Amino acid sequence: MLELTGISRTYHEGHPVHALRPTDLRIGANDYVTITGPSGSGKSTLLNILGLLDTPSTGSYRINGIEMTGLRESMRGSARGQLFGFVFQAFHLLPGRTAIENVELGMLYGPRPTRERRQRAEHTLARVGLAHRAHADPRTLSGGERQRVAIARAVASGPRVLFCDEPTGNLDSANTTTVLDLLRELHADGIALVVVTHEADVAAQGRRQLRVADGVVSEV
Amino acid sequence: MAPARLTLVDWMREATLSVARHPGRAVMTAIGTVLGAVTFVATLGISSTVSQQVSSSFDVRRATEVLVSTQNNIDTTWRDEESLNRVRGLNGVVSAGIRLNIGEQPIARALGSAARPFTVFGVDPDALSTIEPRIVLGRGFDAFHESKAVNVVLLAEPVAQSLGIARIGTAVFIRDRAFTVAGIFDDVARRTDTLNAVLMPASTAETLLTSYYVGGDGDFAREVLIRTVPGAAQLIGAQAALALRPEAPQDLNVIAPPDPRLLRREIEGNVTQSTLLLSVVALAVGAVTIANAAAASVTTRVAEIGLRRALGARPTHIFAQLVGETTALGAIGGAIGVLIGVAVVAVVCIANRWTPILDVRVALGAVAASAATGLLAGLWPAARATKIQPVAALQR
Repeated sequence: MLELTGISRTYHEGHPVHALRPTDLRIGANDYVTITGPSGSGKSTLLNILGLLDTPSTGSYRINGIEMTGLRESMRGSARGQLFGFVFQAFHLLPGRTAIENVELGMLYGPRPTRERRQRAEHTLARVGLAHRAHADPRTLSGGERQRVAIARAVASGPRVLFCDEPTGNLDSANTTTVLDLLRELHADGIALVVVTHEADVAAQGRRQLRVADGVVSEV
Repeated sequence: MAPARLTLVDWMREATLSVARHPGRAVMTAIGTVLGAVTFVATLGISSTVSQQVSSSFDVRRATEVLVSTQNNIDTTWRDEESLNRVRGLNGVVSAGIRLNIGEQPIARALGSAARPFTVFGVDPDALSTIEPRIVLGRGFDAFHESKAVNVVLLAEPVAQSLGIARIGTAVFIRDRAFTVAGIFDDVARRTDTLNAVLMPASTAETLLTSYYVGGDGDFAREVLIRTVPGAAQLIGAQAALALRPEAPQDLNVIAPPDPRLLRREIEGNVTQSTLLLSVVALAVGAVTIANAAAASVTTRVAEIGLRRALGARPTHIFAQLVGETTALGAIGGAIGVLIGVAVVAVVCIANRWTPILDVRVALGAVAASAATGLLAGLWPAARATKIQPVAALQR
């Protein structure tokens, strides 16, 4: 369903930096793909391009057959908001709001009315096992709990693909296990997962493993 | 697929949530709009209260008299019957008469006894009715006395007490001439300079003058005293000189009371100008502080902005969010300022026992102006925020 053909990304800051060399890649509707590689290898670049957070320098990116490169930013933004969910290493929860308000934020720019957003947020928080912490300030939550709230925010709108950039990077091993279990459950429910990580045990979770080194993508 | 959108309700909720997150810091940032609103509401409220006090303490009776006199050595036609009739013909004039001030005269209770000086006025019947003395004993004099130059006087109460006179019909002596006391008065409607004086018919006063003094008319003040209907005094004041002396109205001095409405408008006008200036300055300060704070917050919230973009927000939404926050900040600052301004007016009024006059439109205007200030202040920081790319924002 996600199809990269000849995709590359070059930054021009003084001298050109080839973050990603021309790549072909296909990710199916229920794939669980992990991407590993040393820092600076281009794995985050690949994730950003797949997630429509960044535009490639060359190549074609089709989602369900529809060409994404050349689209207006507003259309790419809509696609991103409705098809994809994102989880980051640093959680990126807003501190002044409760957990459930953070989850609702994920749907703020979508078509759903306020009441529906609240219902879905409650449902998703329960799904990740944090219904009892719905009105807690994120600052009072543990790292694992925060990441689970972030995951709830990412999946509350019902995206098809969940992109995770080092989701367990700030977590201890116990919380890592909890989060990985949750991801596995979500995958079993039908969502596609694309996870960038430098941890071997996390990489091993994926059904497919990609390795990126010096901007070159290879499948393990 | 539906395009990303941000509804109006969501927009307002997001703006107020962000402001509410740091209420103390928000107030400090919006201090300029607070002060602008306080200035606006408090000074306008106090000025309208004061001008209301002015007009309510304004004596309606005094607002119906016009006095015309001259300091130039001119002929006397301006105060002859023909001229007076022209004034009497003006619309709004109730009566017009002559009053002559023959100065302080020695008045004694009996021939030979000690005399005390009191001011004496000669008034014709029209002028007497204009002065409108409140007679507590006896009666005033009228056209008969005027035509016959009868030696009769009306005494002000302090004068009567001073001379030891308690009954009408008794006599007083002015320069060895006897005058019958016809009445005693304790208040006047107009021309309060008669409250401590002696009144006699104008013709009688003239004979007193000619009998005892060589001087000529210019030595003694002769005035035309005009009584108007309420509200007409300003207009008559403008017309009187022309009516009395059409060939040279500038030779005459006219004294008419100020229009309370004019006075009010003048007070309010002066205050309004300086108020607006002060408020604008305060709001400008507020705009700068809000803009600075917004620009700083954009730098601090790069990750949040990147996150929102990742969640589907368009650059327009980011712009609207920031501008919404600064507008909310301005509006809240304005509302606080209005409350403080109202409290200031209340305190001032309680201290002075005034009735506060507050206009709701002033309060609403202050809040609106403060909100607009916030909006303008946010425009440039918000524009900068839209340039933030989600990728750069979310790097660890």
